[in-house]
Amino acid sequence: MKLLSRRKFLQSSTATALLFMAGCKKQTRPGSKADYPSLKIGNSKTLKPNQPLTFNFPDRQSPCVLVKTGSEAIDGIGSQKDIVAFSSLCTHMGCPVTYSKGRLICKCHYSMFDVNRNGQTFQGLASQWIPQIVLREDPASGDIFAEGVQGLIYGRIGNLKVS
Amino acid sequence: MALFKRKDELPIPPGDAEKYTTVCQYCSAGCGYNVYVWPEDKNGSATANAFGVDLSKQGKLMSGFSYTETMHNVITRKNGKQYNLAVIPAKESRINKGDYSIRGGTNALTAYNPDGYTKKRLKDPLIRRENGFVPISWDDAVEIIATLTKSSIDKYGADSIAMKFYDHGSSGLGFEDNWAAGKFFLSGVKTSYLSIHNRPAYNSETWGTRERGMHELNYDVDDARLADTVVLWGANAYESATILYTEHIMPNLQGGSVADKKKAFDPGEPAAEGHIVIIDPRKNATVAVSQDIAADRVLHIRPNLGTDWILANAIARIIWENRWYDQEFLDKRTDMKTFGEYKQKSLQSGKPLATLLADAERITGVPKTQMQQAAEWMAKPKEGGFKRRTLTLFEKGIIWNMKNYDQVAAIAQLNVLGHNVGRVGTGCGRLGGHQEGYVRPPAPTPGSIHAGGPPKNVDKYITGGGGKIYWVGATDPYLSTPNSQFFRKSVKKRADALLDYLDNGGVPTEVKAYADKVLEAFEKTGGLFMIVQDMYMTHTAADAMMILPAAGWGEAVDTSINCHSRLLRIYDKFMDAPGEALPDWQILARIGNRIKALYETDGNKQMAERFGGMEWKSDAEVFEAGSKEFGDNKVAETEEAKLSPECYVGVTHDMLRKLGNEGIQTPVRRDPATGRLSGTKRRYTHSFASKDGLFKWYGTDPWTGYPAEVAKYQHNATYPFWFTTGRSQHVWQTMYHDRKIPEKYFTLPLPYVEIHPEDAGKLGMKSGDMVDVFNEEGSSTALVYVNDSTKPGLIFGIMYHAKGSMNHLISSYTDPKTTIPWYKGTKVGIRKYTGKPDEAIKTASLLANNDVSL
Repeated sequence: MKLLSRRKFLQSSTATALLFMAGCKKQTRPGSKADYPSLKIGNSKTLKPNQPLTFNFPDRQSPCVLVKTGSEAIDGIGSQKDIVAFSSLCTHMGCPVTYSKGRLICKCHYSMFDVNRNGQTFQGLASQWIPQIVLREDPASGDIFAEGVQGLIYGRIGNLKVS
Repeated sequence: MALFKRKDELPIPPGDAEKYTTVCQYCSAGCGYNVYVWPEDKNGSATANAFGVDLSKQGKLMSGFSYTETMHNVITRKNGKQYNLAVIPAKESRINKGDYSIRGGTNALTAYNPDGYTKKRLKDPLIRRENGFVPISWDDAVEIIATLTKSSIDKYGADSIAMKFYDHGSSGLGFEDNWAAGKFFLSGVKTSYLSIHNRPAYNSETWGTRERGMHELNYDVDDARLADTVVLWGANAYESATILYTEHIMPNLQGGSVADKKKAFDPGEPAAEGHIVIIDPRKNATVAVSQDIAADRVLHIRPNLGTDWILANAIARIIWENRWYDQEFLDKRTDMKTFGEYKQKSLQSGKPLATLLADAERITGVPKTQMQQAAEWMAKPKEGGFKRRTLTLFEKGIIWNMKNYDQVAAIAQLNVLGHNVGRVGTGCGRLGGHQEGYVRPPAPTPGSIHAGGPPKNVDKYITGGGGKIYWVGATDPYLSTPNSQFFRKSVKKRADALLDYLDNGGVPTEVKAYADKVLEAFEKTGGLFMIVQDMYMTHTAADAMMILPAAGWGEAVDTSINCHSRLLRIYDKFMDAPGEALPDWQILARIGNRIKALYETDGNKQMAERFGGMEWKSDAEVFEAGSKEFGDNKVAETEEAKLSPECYVGVTHDMLRKLGNEGIQTPVRRDPATGRLSGTKRRYTHSFASKDGLFKWYGTDPWTGYPAEVAKYQHNATYPFWFTTGRSQHVWQTMYHDRKIPEKYFTLPLPYVEIHPEDAGKLGMKSGDMVDVFNEEGSSTALVYVNDSTKPGLIFGIMYHAKGSMNHLISSYTDPKTTIPWYKGTKVGIRKYTGKPDEAIKTASLLANNDVSL
């Protein structure tokens, strides 16, 4: 498992941030054969509504996005249950998706995924819903950890099976 | 917890996995797919596998290879063993180039899996008793139906049998099943009460163009990339023929096909990024996506419901006035003897242009400036005097409009006026719904009212008490027929009356005695014996007396053509049908052969012969038998118009297996010079499909308002809203598969309506509310989506859904010329429920599906 060992925020041109985090540990989740790492990706106290953060999970070839949506989401965490994270590779043909107006949108073929509804494709071509990242919040610190993936990341035969 | 179980790893097919080629079971695009089947315990590796792709590395975007969660399933064969199944979009197909839609991407999920989503398939023939359906053997089912059908013909005549059967390709299973249904019902039973899956009669939806000498499937997918202008008229391509849009129309709009245009066009001819004209009352996703790509090259026209032919004629008049036509083409290729009528009635040459345009603007609600713009984009010659190249695709917004015949004819003529057929980058025809695969003996009604028609309305026959046996194949008219609430109530009443009589005193188990008692019941009750052939228990099947389990896509060999290239391919069998299910051709052959034997026993040679010719041993034999119907296909390329559009004489299953995703384009001809089979890329380059090869002009009717069935709602405050219907990107037809697939039903859990924000504000409604939509035909309950897709005063509803049909609201009006319904227009009232079914709708996304802006 290759994970970056430095902490750094990079502002990208689309006003989203690339977030590289350290301090991961391996964790096996019930119901999943896969051995996902646990990766700190943000903090619920500093996360602002509709200002997404990007991170890579479960490895650096898999870009993801963390967002506080402002309304209760399926599998959302935090006091408002509105913090969710998703793979940001469109499941249709692997183009990058952008967060806007409560959905992830892919401009290659215009698939759109509802972040409050489990990443479902509510419009477009993607037959597979976009994978939702399993999150855990540390109640004391508010730290948010990515610890698993529901669904298959685009371009992979298994989420942990790329070299 | 995720809403349903997700996968984070997929099995890999080993190098020696079984490989088949097929075509998607859904829309008119007909995307190519490759199918892999391998034993569950024998996987390949990331670097050595049947895909020939290195799966050890992160896949690159737009690589053309996709293998997602929805493309895998586990099947069980008759040998009891389990196999992995992968259904993968074919990169080598020139139709989809590895692309796929949300429908095709779930092909694998529809495969029968005893532990999977589609486990509730029909597996035995069923007979209805007072306490529900009981399984019976095929032998008994065949014997009962054969005896009863024969008895009914003998006692009441052939018209005592009515049918509604699919006639399309792909999901139903194409040429093979269609030939069998044709032999059985058209040659054998010979009833005149025939109807096609989605409508009340046995007719073409496009007689308006066919009777001009132009079949509606006359273009190639390449034309969508090469056209200067693409016109989508009542055709929501992005949501209902998705891959035609994303792989062919979208690149044209983006400018990605300019280099190809330069190669294909005449020397010196200008080639630029494409324009698109979208004529649709809704600002649907096709409009939104097109505008996001190239707003200045999109013209969106929103006519009032039912008025499109007036608009088409007005645009044609502008083209005429400006002389944006080629007189030499008109003189040589069209019947100028008939042009006078067109000029007088359609172009209204006797009326000053300004008056005509003012009238058209008043009727259609479309500004004159948009008509002018459309005419320029469709027909104004390009710099240097080169003819513009326009591809016009229409679909249900036109076909299922008021006045089917005139709507279709007006659009066909508008395009031929600009010579927009038979040239590179042109064409005029259907976008299509299903794929096609029609081969049958001649229908009893050859054409519209102008050509021996119109055909009989079977819905009205049945609801009016006509017919004794009603045979329904792979369609669910309780949802899909117009005026469906009345239809359902009428059929149910007759079906239940029959059942009550039969069960009174017990049902004989001996077949002849059973048939006699059914005949007695016909006399006493006016009841209806309904037979349904289907894959699933449908809304309609629940009232049938007998249900016959049918095989589906992948469970039998099928051949069909797509709509955008008439590309004939094989849809190979890669798995067994569940239980006792059989392909429709086999079911009909068994019953037909039995009826023949019964007539032979009677010594009735004439009737026995009618049911002859169904002794097929294999699907390949049925395919070949059907080909005889097309006659001789030895014609030169310049004479292709003489061939039937789906002619495949000389093509065999084996040949198609070798051709795989490449296929061959119909009409297939045997070239007289070389003796070899040859496909046809584009039609009507040299002549049209009329006796003299000339295009036949026709003068359309003037505007005289709405038919009585809808006019009664005008100026009635109880029904203030216009109402139209359509499809969604997600679900196919009645959701027969999709109602079982979580990726689909969680998103669209209920039938829905779209309401404009302005109307929603006045009505106090918001997205997620539940409403009752009603008029004097019936009512439908729906979930509300508030978005700007519709116009103020217009409500849109999904046509039908597993949990209800909007066709309850649709009148029984049909075009008197063709018996095609106006499914897409009526008026309604709407009222809100007080509460909300939170549990039922909690999974539904309420976001606007026509907003693609960041």
